[in-house]
Amino acid sequence: MIEQIESKKTFIIVPAFNEEKIIGEVINEIRSSGFSDIIVIDDGSMDDTYIEAGKKGARSFRHKINRGKGAAVKTGIEAAKKLKAHIAVTMDGDGQHNPADIEKMIELLENGYDVILGTRLKNPTGMPFYKIIANKIGNFFTWLMYGLWVTDSQSGFRAFSKKALRLIDTKTDRYEYDSEVIREIRRNKLKYAEIPIEVRYTTYSMGKKNKQGFVNGLRTVYNIIWDLIA
Amino acid sequence: MKIFGLHLYQAVVAILAISMIYQGFVRYIRRESSQTILKFLVRLVIWGGMITVTLFPDVTNWFAKVIGLQGNINAVILTGFLFVFLIIFKLLSSIERLEKQVSILTRQDALENINGENNNSKK
Repeated sequence: MIEQIESKKTFIIVPAFNEEKIIGEVINEIRSSGFSDIIVIDDGSMDDTYIEAGKKGARSFRHKINRGKGAAVKTGIEAAKKLKAHIAVTMDGDGQHNPADIEKMIELLENGYDVILGTRLKNPTGMPFYKIIANKIGNFFTWLMYGLWVTDSQSGFRAFSKKALRLIDTKTDRYEYDSEVIREIRRNKLKYAEIPIEVRYTTYSMGKKNKQGFVNGLRTVYNIIWDLIA
Repeated sequence: MKIFGLHLYQAVVAILAISMIYQGFVRYIRRESSQTILKFLVRLVIWGGMITVTLFPDVTNWFAKVIGLQGNINAVILTGFLFVFLIIFKLLSSIERLEKQVSILTRQDALENINGENNNSKK
């Protein structure tokens, strides 16, 4: 199955900001799951994320200044399109996503879906309570603004078909990007599915300052509303 | 001073609001990807609301009754508020536009030599 998938030119896109300690491990794990085309976007890190990703054999690209997760993922998607990807999978650079879930996503794409959304809320074991609440609020605002209800509008673990890569056009730079993708799914009438994913909340990933916390969540809501008005 | 039967502030606010609605309408007609129907409707409600309140100030009395407040709106405060609101709106729009341009440039720079030597891979 993996060989068949590989023949479809699948790129795994990993946005990373100050992840030098773990990015090598993330790349190794993706490779052990059978995927060798890995794109790392170093989003203006102040550490050696870019060098570490390069050492591990990933195609790494660097934003000279920090532009946010949405901008980094978009850069990765643009890179994948230029490299003639048939499928692109996005996942976080802090090791909280399990690459073993990629294969399930790709199988669904092979069955005619355009976008597969990994959802933490269908299997929230180990997910902190405040994150569950914040996520539901995010889902509500995403539905309110963009008219599509999904169980995890803020998940960064997603897979896109070639058609979806061509049609999805995002503009936002930060965490509101995740909701914007939901808007694009609806706007382009893309066929999507949600699958439960495993999320590993480690001390490392929970300790990062730039994660989607409560304040960042409020900022995301503000940005979504502002994007509608401006 | 009156222009076509309108006070100066009414004419100024009406012109500004119409121009903002017109800009949104043109963007929507041109099918710019960032301009959805929802976005255009929000713009219409905000700036349309401003025109309504400016041209038909009595609406505020009805509104004051509905929300349980009494009394008129001081014209000077209203004008100042609208002016500050407009400046903030334009400033935030400009910052947003600049941010997007910076992101586009940063992306172009990152992907400049995607098929060549800029790629850091040690495969």
